[in-house]
Amino acid sequence: MINAYILLTMRTGDSGKAILEMRKIENVEKISVVAGEYDIVVRVQVKTLESLLKVTNKIQMIDGVKKTTTSVIEKEIAL
Amino acid sequence: MIIRKKYLFYALAFASSIIAASVSAIDATISQIYIPNPWAFSFSCFIVGIIISLLIVLVFSIPVKGRSLGSRVIDPSFKRLRLVRKEELKYHIPAAVGNAILTIGYLSLLSILGDPSTVLPFSQIVILYLILIESITEKNMPTLSEIQSSIIVTFGAILGSISLTGTINLASLAIVFLVVNPAWVLFSINQRKLKILKVDNRPNDALNIRFWNVVFACLFTAILAIIYDFIVGGNNFIEGIAASINHFSWVALTMGVTFFSYVFYIRALGIGKASVTQAVRASTVLFAIPFSILISYFNVIPPFTTDPVMILIKIIGTILVILGIVSFALALVKAYVFINIKPGYSIEETMDKLWTIWGVTRVTAIAGKYDFIVKIRTRTLVKGYEQIIQKLEEIDAIKDYKWQSVLKEWEKI
Repeated sequence: MINAYILLTMRTGDSGKAILEMRKIENVEKISVVAGEYDIVVRVQVKTLESLLKVTNKIQMIDGVKKTTTSVIEKEIAL
Repeated sequence: MIIRKKYLFYALAFASSIIAASVSAIDATISQIYIPNPWAFSFSCFIVGIIISLLIVLVFSIPVKGRSLGSRVIDPSFKRLRLVRKEELKYHIPAAVGNAILTIGYLSLLSILGDPSTVLPFSQIVILYLILIESITEKNMPTLSEIQSSIIVTFGAILGSISLTGTINLASLAIVFLVVNPAWVLFSINQRKLKILKVDNRPNDALNIRFWNVVFACLFTAILAIIYDFIVGGNNFIEGIAASINHFSWVALTMGVTFFSYVFYIRALGIGKASVTQAVRASTVLFAIPFSILISYFNVIPPFTTDPVMILIKIIGTILVILGIVSFALALVKAYVFINIKPGYSIEETMDKLWTIWGVTRVTAIAGKYDFIVKIRTRTLVKGYEQIIQKLEEIDAIKDYKWQSVLKEWEKI
């Protein structure tokens, strides 16, 4: 399994509608609306890098998404 | 389907507490009319519990359109009934010891007091023990608001536990503080560990956890009953087996309903902190009152007093418990910290240093613009600065960091 964070910068507008669209994407595990450099942090879980590309594409197609920065997870420690 | 995690968490925790309140009324009826011996009742619960839990898990293992019925209805992580794994044993054994002692203690309380609306508030004091354990195991020191909330819940529980018949029993207090609550902590903490454990690269499921907990708890209850019989010269072990045959239908009813209460509780534990789950489950105190009135109406327990002072005390206690729950649930701050490190420093060593910081729940090494994304969970922003930012700044390897407070979050359950 490949896990990745996709950091989103949004255009000012209806972010609620964009989040609703993101929630429908199958491989999206978590969506966090944040305050700071980015607007939304999305965590995805996919089987292949090709699937990751598909998910990133789907997110980029959503109206309101200005820029995406994808970071693939190499190692993780969690509770 | 991706929903706000907290909605599912509260739905599960409240469903669990309503079912638990109904179970306490059934238990009180069995204890007062059919099986007055708490040792025999406890042992019979687990004997019958194995049969009932096995049947329920087998039914939920039936595949429906490629997925098991249990995964569609109860827990998406459930596939089918399976053998317990080696890595689960270290958590199953203490959880089962906790459940065995807890059940014996709880049924002893019920046989002394009778009224479930009196017994249940007592068990809410466990929140104090849970906060203490979390501060050790989850690297999360209790804040002032957590301490305030747990004190409110504790006092509320004590007031709520005053029987509407107007009595308070000191022997029962000793059972609560020395037997029931420590055992509940052992049970609860290890069930949470089991739920967050990955089995075959999948999250562990609540149905298998509950089934195997009942199996192991039966074994430990049998051992405890034999030791107790040996010391005091009683016949509780045999009485337990006899009770499970003679009153099978009543015990099967209580264990069947309990199964669902625990499955919902275990799922809630896998989502939220143990102390918050316990806080929500404290609402059992409120839900137990109508059930107590019902069994009092059928003369299973003595009729309630109509003394307005006693009723007022009970209402104040219940309100305090609910207030404590609300203040617990509302105070939580989450954040991401994006970190870059200086050249020449090891990623793995820095990762280990980040992991030792209190309040850090996830450290992720990533490829891309940043080197790490760290997830933080804290009760207040002040604590976030004092415990997290100051500690981050002490790590030499860190070149710069960016704090991103989480405003709202959705998660796939």
